[in-house]
Amino acid sequence: MKTSILIAKKEIKIALREKLVLALSCIILVLLGISLYTGVVAYKQQQETITNAQVEKREEWLGQGDKHPHIAAHFGTFIFKPKTVLSLFDFGLDTYTGTSVYLEAHYQHQFMFRPAQDHSSMIRFGELSSALVLQILMPLLIIFLAYASFTKEKERGTLRLLSSQGITLTSVAWGKIIAYFIMLLAILVPFALSVLLISYWLETPDTVTDLGIRIVLLGATYMVYIFIFIVLSVLVSLKSSVSRNALLTLLTCWILFTIIIPKTIANFGESLYPLPSMKIYKEAILKDKENGLERKTPKAERMARLEKELLAKHKVDSVQQLPFNFEGVMMQAGEEYGDKVYDVHWGRLLNIFHKQNKLGSYSSLVNPYMALRNISMGLSATDLSTSIDFQKKVENYRRSFIKKMNNDMAQNSKYGEFYEYSVGLDMWKSVEDFSYKTPSIYTTLKKYTIELIALLCWVIILISLLNYSTRKTKLTNE
Amino acid sequence: MNKVTKTIIRYEWASFIRNKFQLLLLVIIFLFAMYAIYYGTSVINTQLKTITEVQKIEADEFHQYQVSFDEELNSVDAKRKKDIASNPSYAWFRHGYHTVLPPHKYAALAIGQRDLHPYYHRLTGMSLYYQLFENEISNPVKLYVGNFDLSFVIIYLVPLLIIAFTFGLYSIEEESGVLALLRIQSISIRKIMLVRLMFYFMLITGSALLISLIGLLVSGNLFADENLLAALGWLAGVILYSAFWFSLMFLIISFLKNSAFNAICAAGCWLLFLLVIPAVLNVWMVAKFPIDTTHLAELTRRTGLENENDEKEQVEVLSEFLEYNPQYKASDSLFHNNKYAKVYAAFTTLKDNHSKKDVDAYNRQIEKRNQWVKQFLWINPAVNMQDTFALILKTDLNTFLSYQSALSKFHKNINTFYFDRLFWDKPITQDDYSKRPVFKIENSNERWNQVLYSFLEIIFISSLFGILGFMKMKKTTH
Repeated sequence: MKTSILIAKKEIKIALREKLVLALSCIILVLLGISLYTGVVAYKQQQETITNAQVEKREEWLGQGDKHPHIAAHFGTFIFKPKTVLSLFDFGLDTYTGTSVYLEAHYQHQFMFRPAQDHSSMIRFGELSSALVLQILMPLLIIFLAYASFTKEKERGTLRLLSSQGITLTSVAWGKIIAYFIMLLAILVPFALSVLLISYWLETPDTVTDLGIRIVLLGATYMVYIFIFIVLSVLVSLKSSVSRNALLTLLTCWILFTIIIPKTIANFGESLYPLPSMKIYKEAILKDKENGLERKTPKAERMARLEKELLAKHKVDSVQQLPFNFEGVMMQAGEEYGDKVYDVHWGRLLNIFHKQNKLGSYSSLVNPYMALRNISMGLSATDLSTSIDFQKKVENYRRSFIKKMNNDMAQNSKYGEFYEYSVGLDMWKSVEDFSYKTPSIYTTLKKYTIELIALLCWVIILISLLNYSTRKTKLTNE
Repeated sequence: MNKVTKTIIRYEWASFIRNKFQLLLLVIIFLFAMYAIYYGTSVINTQLKTITEVQKIEADEFHQYQVSFDEELNSVDAKRKKDIASNPSYAWFRHGYHTVLPPHKYAALAIGQRDLHPYYHRLTGMSLYYQLFENEISNPVKLYVGNFDLSFVIIYLVPLLIIAFTFGLYSIEEESGVLALLRIQSISIRKIMLVRLMFYFMLITGSALLISLIGLLVSGNLFADENLLAALGWLAGVILYSAFWFSLMFLIISFLKNSAFNAICAAGCWLLFLLVIPAVLNVWMVAKFPIDTTHLAELTRRTGLENENDEKEQVEVLSEFLEYNPQYKASDSLFHNNKYAKVYAAFTTLKDNHSKKDVDAYNRQIEKRNQWVKQFLWINPAVNMQDTFALILKTDLNTFLSYQSALSKFHKNINTFYFDRLFWDKPITQDDYSKRPVFKIENSNERWNQVLYSFLEIIFISSLFGILGFMKMKKTTH
């Protein structure tokens, strides 16, 4: 251990003399700075826009005047997807998920306005977020730092000198790993602290649950990722005969990990589990609402049955004699059946998404970048599962406020009257404003079990491989 | 070609076919390209299938209307059908026209923004903006990582191939001690390097062209009028883009540094052009030109008169409508027959008039973004080329914007067709069906100027690097 620390000290000294490494570290620092700055600016802009819009829509809802509750249910309201504060660190899928949705009776509208649609095709090259810098550029710095860690010693013959002093290869390797890890932590830790400070300093609605734990876990995951790349680089260097080969192998891995595998897997998933087109999807929902699920209970039949049941239950022979407005009850029954149909179709759609993305999760077993990317999005609450959770909560909100409108219509208005009946501000106020909280950290982590296991496996396998190789490699054969 | 050049090329070929690693790389890229062609074609085929389905839905719908004229009206259902077919007060908001933006024959090679923007719409005479913004279903994770199409292979992977083949052209000779032998030849080192680069240029560009030709042949007839120019444009683009990377590699080699330096430098440039520059520009652009779509959300709200029975409100709406549409003023039946339908038609038209400025402002902001980004394109041949490929194959943002403006025009035609009959109280006759508005997108050839301009920009940068490399090498080798 002592020798390892000694070696680490020497490595740091040498690395600091390398202009290339220093230059790249500076570039990474500058890019981290830029990304953090633009992240904060974009977050504040969008948060403000969304908060204002949400307040405006709430005022519109409250100020809509006196009207029939069902007209109000069609007037509806809008929900805008709030930015989570950690999106200033990892944009995740925010650019590609819709930002606003219109809530009204009978229809589940889709989220509209994906921010990527306001861009030219350059957006497909990616956006500079701090997460991107740490996920893609940082490994490159590690490769440049460590590709020659052993090959250089071999080329100069210093490795044999070391071993003649009785120092084992294992302690040399760990000395180097410690050195690189400390240097990268010197970049990472101050950065993580500034993210922590900024996210607390920004006055934000507390959309994100367990913010502190999320940031700490983010820091830890990134550390593990960096550690994996360091050990991998040192291992490749140990196994290569010359620096050039070590570098080429590592660069190939890097490009496979960060560019080629993620894209191939996602495209592959789409080919394997095709999605329906919006037109066909919506048409199928409409048809099922009209004819009943599996065409078993057409709408007219459902309504007739409901009428019969209610008449029998209240022992009257016409709907006018019922102690409530039958139209309101019918409206709510239609709504509930529509929800049931929607849940079936939406569930199928989500299932396809899930299958497509599962391939990505499994690929993290061979690609640490995928593991980190998914976990990072999850912790930053910019991933698909948070987005779906948001959509579900919005849909539940829609259902509850429509139900309120229908119940009021059933209880307080008379059969056959429409424009004659109206409610006002008290009713509108009784519908609470929508506010969103992300799922708890535990729920989020559970979605990424495979990725977490993958990272763990990478660490264990790489460490064992390194220890095995350092013990097996015979210097005299070099 | 003199004897020495021939000799160099012969030896280069001999060493190339002996190098298993390089052959393997070439094979891998070829396989990736085949997958890319397959994937691109499958995406576009899915879209074509959707378009066919959508067109069938429209054909069926209008067929139903047309036959209803000949059917006997002995059931409620038949009467209802005939009403929808012939009575403009139903027809104007019931008749659904499907507009489509068919993909270019070669769109499969560069999917561009086709997966992000809706490429078909169902339009009725109702408010245009209400019908405009719905998205196609897609997995955000997939949108985020982008498409594995042929343009990806050319833009991202071919440069890697170029780097892998050429980074050691000089340094490996030096490192293996051959350089000293070369120096004593009568031919200059620079000439040798140029001939060898030329050899690899032919080899890699040739392979890229071969791959492209396969893609072009699979996707459509090469010699059809509308395809030939696009195919030539694509092939020219491939040659230019490859030339750019070779000139960059020549510049890097001309510094006569060791292999590791060259590899790091080349990987750094690759990263800079394909990730860092576009990623920084994207976030910078968002911060500089924020786009607020929350106002647009309002347009998707289904609204109507406060109270359909309110005479005063009806008159107000109709009067305002007539100010914009004086051609209907002379119709004395305006305030008598079919008043609900007329008032509602007037209402949605007015709503569009009011919303237009929001939509225009939004489009202007996107235009501003594009203008701003364009001034940086010349620095970055990678983004420039990707944009140009999308432009050539009509999968770029502008194609979608012009499709949208064609949509607005078409919507006006729909309105005119139905409103002329609605407001003059004329039924829709069977003959009228042949006069229905037809959706057209004007084919503009403006894009070719832009393509040419981008090509010139890439030629300029390539020549700049080439000349710099040439001068640098002259200095250093003498």
